[in-house]
Amino acid sequence: MMKRRDFGQRSLGLSAGLAIGSVQPGGWLQALASELQEQAGTSSDSERVLVVIQLSGGNDGLNTVIPYGDENYAKARPKLAIPSSQVIKHTDLLGFHPSLKSLETSWSANRFSIVQGVGYAKPNRSHFESMDIWHTCHAKEDRTQTGWIGRWVSGESDSDPSDSAAIHLGSEPLPLACQQRGVQVPSLVSLEQMRLKSKLQMGQAAQVASGSLLDFVSTSTVAALQVSERLEKILAQPDTSGDFPKTLLGEKLRAISRLILAGVKTRVYYVTLDGFDTHANQPDIHATLLRQWSEALAAFLSRLERSGHQDRVLVMTFSEFGRRVAENASQGTDHGAAAPIFLAGPKLGKLVRGLHPELEDLDDGDLRFGIDFRAVYAAVLDGWLKADSRKALDSDFRSAGSDLGLFT
Amino acid sequence: MLKATIRATLRPDQDLSAIDPQMAWSAWEPTSEEPWDARRVRHLMRRGGFGAKSSEVKQLVDAGPAKAIDALMGKQSVQALEAFEQDSAQILSALRSGGNVESIAAWWLHRMLHSPSPLVEKMTLFWHGHFATGADKVNDTELMVQQNRMLREHALGDYSSLVQAVSKDPAMLLYLDSATNRKTHPNENYARELMELFCLGEGNYTEQDVQQLARCFTGWEIKRKTFRFNPYQHDSGFKKLFETEGIESGEQAVGAVLAHRSMPTFIAGKLVRFFVCDEPAPEADFLLPLAVAFQKGDFAIEPLVRTILSSKLLLSDWSRGKKVRSPVEFVVESMRNLQMTTNLDRLAKGLDGVGQALFNPPNVKGWDGGRAWINSSTLIGRSNLIVDLLREPATRFARGPLDAWLKSEQVSSDRQWLDWLETSLLSIPLSDSDKEQLQSSVAKSDVGFDPWRKMLVALSQNPKFHLS
Repeated sequence: MMKRRDFGQRSLGLSAGLAIGSVQPGGWLQALASELQEQAGTSSDSERVLVVIQLSGGNDGLNTVIPYGDENYAKARPKLAIPSSQVIKHTDLLGFHPSLKSLETSWSANRFSIVQGVGYAKPNRSHFESMDIWHTCHAKEDRTQTGWIGRWVSGESDSDPSDSAAIHLGSEPLPLACQQRGVQVPSLVSLEQMRLKSKLQMGQAAQVASGSLLDFVSTSTVAALQVSERLEKILAQPDTSGDFPKTLLGEKLRAISRLILAGVKTRVYYVTLDGFDTHANQPDIHATLLRQWSEALAAFLSRLERSGHQDRVLVMTFSEFGRRVAENASQGTDHGAAAPIFLAGPKLGKLVRGLHPELEDLDDGDLRFGIDFRAVYAAVLDGWLKADSRKALDSDFRSAGSDLGLFT
Repeated sequence: MLKATIRATLRPDQDLSAIDPQMAWSAWEPTSEEPWDARRVRHLMRRGGFGAKSSEVKQLVDAGPAKAIDALMGKQSVQALEAFEQDSAQILSALRSGGNVESIAAWWLHRMLHSPSPLVEKMTLFWHGHFATGADKVNDTELMVQQNRMLREHALGDYSSLVQAVSKDPAMLLYLDSATNRKTHPNENYARELMELFCLGEGNYTEQDVQQLARCFTGWEIKRKTFRFNPYQHDSGFKKLFETEGIESGEQAVGAVLAHRSMPTFIAGKLVRFFVCDEPAPEADFLLPLAVAFQKGDFAIEPLVRTILSSKLLLSDWSRGKKVRSPVEFVVESMRNLQMTTNLDRLAKGLDGVGQALFNPPNVKGWDGGRAWINSSTLIGRSNLIVDLLREPATRFARGPLDAWLKSEQVSSDRQWLDWLETSLLSIPLSDSDKEQLQSSVAKSDVGFDPWRKMLVALSQNPKFHLS
């Protein structure tokens, strides 16, 4: 039997308070609203939220976190090296791409951290295979059709039935990372797109679980209707999300902030930013994409801070691989291996974790990984979401995860 | 032991792994339980084309399965083809300065809706997803149309010529950043995707093969929108691809990739998924009869597709409901069956909102298809798209109002209408409770439509509407 999820019941008090407060500023209503916001801001484990940003195509980690002090960097990239005069310097060796400027406030408040040299053994340089490895945490030989977030959802969904445990926002198909065996994780192009133009009584799903295509479409239909009804109520409230860049990622993070502020109980949000496959004309494209990422992220973090949610939302940004150390002839770079992961939101301590991969000791032209990506996932699952990472990852990376010292 | 589980007939619930491949790919023949009737004609027209109007279905029941497949290829309608090509060319030439993406998508939708050889359009759509190229990045609609015509020209031709043409196609090489290939730093992008996505599948080549193949393509350039070979930039050094030494040119290298033993199975597998069933992915053994015939026939595509379309596996009841309709399929089929015409620019935009923008596949891997078509947004979007289509003032039925068309189809009650829609649009029949629920939905509906349109909208929210 499929469980009927009762969207829209919980957290209505909180939402109503916020709605009235923003319509009529000042007075006791506003005081009540901000008090409610503060309560929301006190972080209990069950309220912690994870936002995953996937940079699709393979982000050039070497031109994002830049070893400008290493002479081999400029040697490998005569045309593409970011001149040290433009690098935002962190140490004598390391600095950041100038497009990351809007995140400076986050890292100076210790709310930003970079894990260096993340990857996995025997790197696969196909976008799709490598992405599948990051999503399923399995090598091709023992591939599953469930992802790490999906498996986390399967273990989690009974504890709070009011909202879906995870939501994917974007026009691409549901990422494999979010796939699970039960009811599909909702995938929304936008909040507004979920308004049904003709409210009919949608078919009640056949209550059998044979795993057939028909069952799948039936349960997805019921879930779609429920999400649509729930969002209809949220959209009826005024939008207080404020200024976000008018980019695809900006719009997605604005929508997520709206859901978080409305008291939606979803714990994990998944979004992507595409275009990082910079085989040609990399400098402009990469600078623009990094700016889109950093500006949208900065707006999101600042919106959370203004409403007191900054300690309960963690944003993790990754890409399926970095790029080759040597540039190609088209002012671009080909598929590579290890790259940094970025974490932002709550107090995170050190800005840089792990060592920058050696530029002289390469694996077939690519950076070697120092930290397995599953260790970072484990740290996030165990330390942040307070889940059991072994179930979600299908392997035990607990101690490697806690060694990162991210959430102490 | 195993043979004992393999049966001569196909039961609808039989596991693919328990089906004998020789039997599955042999030609379907009518029996008393499974006659060649309107229902089966509609199934073939759905899978091999984009549906059919009632009068076509009647003709094809009389004609038999082989002639029906000929009809999908437009083999008996030379005059209709000529007239249609003139219409299509006129639409294209009317686009100012090459048009925008929506207008060229509208041009293609017109072809899918009206072509007398729908299988050619369906195969063009298949190759568009296979050799996925995105207009947003190529940023030149003329080149996208040029590629689309090239795919159509080779759609049922031979695979070697198709891949050689794709390898020099300006839109493809711009999309994969491979418009310049210098010998000093070969660009690996096209080389990798040629093996991974177009011919062999991941795991059938090494990283070294990628690098060697990239060297073969050095000197290949796109200049002023056309392909040219620049000998000064070609790396003429020694190259070794797979186990073959002494490969020199890019053309030879493409030939070596095509000759790889895993190519025929890879292509057969993708076609089976496109035409027959979304899941499970068939084992190589199951595809072997197709792969062997494909190889023996010098990679001719038409016989392979014909074998699949006329097979027991596809034409028996086994394959019913085993595919999720793509957005293009569910819209174009509905429109062809209901003889609808509408504002195609707006329709093209609408398809973008439900996950299949023509000329803009999500990435070089194309659309994943199957379950990936379905999620909360696309389900809401599909229903909204039907509402928009019915609300659109330009929408007509056989060039007239809905009432007149219903009369011509002899539909005069809501029950008849529901039966008509079920027969025409659904692969899996509705249950009694489905029908009750649809009728009560129509009674309670708040959308400002007549009961006929309300019924179509209600059906668009029934899960069976999304299966083929």
